[in-house]
Amino acid sequence: MTRGAFAAAACTWLVLVVLGAIFAPLVAPSGPTQPIGAALAAPGGASPLGTDALGRDLWSRMLYGARTSLAGALLAASLAVCLGGVFGLAAAMHGGWVERAIAWGANAMLAIPGLLLALMLLAALGPGVGTIILAVGLGGAPGFARLSRSVFLAARQSDYVRAAHALGAGRAWVAFRHVLPNARTALFSLATTHVAWAFLGITTLTFLGLAGDPSLPEWGAMLNEGRLHLVDAPQLALWPGSAIALCVLSIQYLGGWFTRRVRQAEASRMESDERKNRS
Amino acid sequence: MTFLALRLTSGDPVASLLAQGLASVEQADALRHQLGLDLPLLQQYLRFLTSLLSGDLGRSLYTGQPVTQIISEQLPYTAQLAAAGLAVALVLGLLLGLLATREDRQRSLPLASGVAGLATALPVAFTGILAILAAIAFRAAPTLLRGITLPALVLGFASSGAIARLVQAGLQETLSAPFMLAARARGIRRGPRLLWHALRPALPPVISLIAVEAAFLFGGTVVTENVFSRPGLGRLLVASILQGDYPIAQGLVVLSAVVYSATHVLADVFGLALDPRLRRSE
Repeated sequence: MTRGAFAAAACTWLVLVVLGAIFAPLVAPSGPTQPIGAALAAPGGASPLGTDALGRDLWSRMLYGARTSLAGALLAASLAVCLGGVFGLAAAMHGGWVERAIAWGANAMLAIPGLLLALMLLAALGPGVGTIILAVGLGGAPGFARLSRSVFLAARQSDYVRAAHALGAGRAWVAFRHVLPNARTALFSLATTHVAWAFLGITTLTFLGLAGDPSLPEWGAMLNEGRLHLVDAPQLALWPGSAIALCVLSIQYLGGWFTRRVRQAEASRMESDERKNRS
Repeated sequence: MTFLALRLTSGDPVASLLAQGLASVEQADALRHQLGLDLPLLQQYLRFLTSLLSGDLGRSLYTGQPVTQIISEQLPYTAQLAAAGLAVALVLGLLLGLLATREDRQRSLPLASGVAGLATALPVAFTGILAILAAIAFRAAPTLLRGITLPALVLGFASSGAIARLVQAGLQETLSAPFMLAARARGIRRGPRLLWHALRPALPPVISLIAVEAAFLFGGTVVTENVFSRPGLGRLLVASILQGDYPIAQGLVVLSAVVYSATHVLADVFGLALDPRLRRSE
């Protein structure tokens, strides 16, 4: 019961964030980069959350910031999922030297910690939001390749796949017609953890000041700006910080909740199948 | 690999000096020659490798100081922070893991496992700022704000979640093992039973996790040093990326790769020492 309540709260929060991000120009009282009054103004009046060090409305910047952080996390996660998924599928379906080569490559990349890999790419390509997204996405790909490979392998060893092979189906047909659809729930819960991870990675890198453009509204970068005014205006760090934390927690919780529900459903389905077989 | 990733894509580092008006064209050419940037890539790579083997990581593009000197100046700060953070992570992780486990029931204590979950999900940047705010709110002594206590706590808390989860999973497994029932039958008390009989077989995976955590800890120090404005390798790395000072970034990446593999080897050795079963299976 309480788990359902947590899941509902997490879901509500994420929906609110997504809506706020989509409709930011309609909801926000002012633009994210235009100063509206005195710097570091207290919350209330024209700016419900106060203003930042340059007199920009914090509430508007939060709304526009959701766009950058959320879209960035989704882009980076889809990059990791697509790239990693293709390699994972290829490794699981092909076997042999392809599998060994992919495993070797993934392990070589995983030998370097994720944040360091991202920092390395940033060192090479220079700071910037696009580079951050690319770095986080590429950093997540080997991990996803390894995890998805085991999911695909499990699907590949099932009876229906063997039956399809026996009926003379080609490897690509089996991969896309049988293995991929049957692995999708497991892949989905893997992907949600990657979104949470990407969100954390992106906001961490922007927090380190690697986003390049300082006027860009982004939660991690805003947290970094707020760090300088912890004594006189703590809300500048508290709002973006809690928003990031809530988003990561919500995505992770929902991912875990979904996985548990799927497992329960599968277990009960197997039970009822067994009962049918016995009678 | 590090070398190629950094050199192939960063373009001409001297060009950025030129663009910023820090060097004239003649100076730039001289600098290129001095740094060996006018040689073919393969030759550059060989030079990098040979100098790496003799412990030379090159010089900073801006200050001209040897990279090894810059790194060794900052290393103690980060090593200190990482060691303190690891200690906090171990104590907190074991404590949370033990608290979350109950001998007689399958389900874990929700509060302890909730805290462990929070620890893994909360961004280090945010917990760090919360810690500073709390210190300000409670009018803590300024020495606390400047000292290593808060950063170590923040860093350790972030790593403790994964340790707690592993300890709990290991305990859950060992608690249902027959030797636990035997220990109970021999009249060994609850405390020693949990701490000695159940915890010890659950530890080897924790040790190998710590090797992974050491890498995470490095990432954590990057953020923690920036939150608390502490000197150290993490801040050096971010600063060198922002400035495009690639020899420093390159040296740091090489260093952390070495540290990372060293911790893995150490963890394997410790694991063998702790779990005789692993030795036998060899």
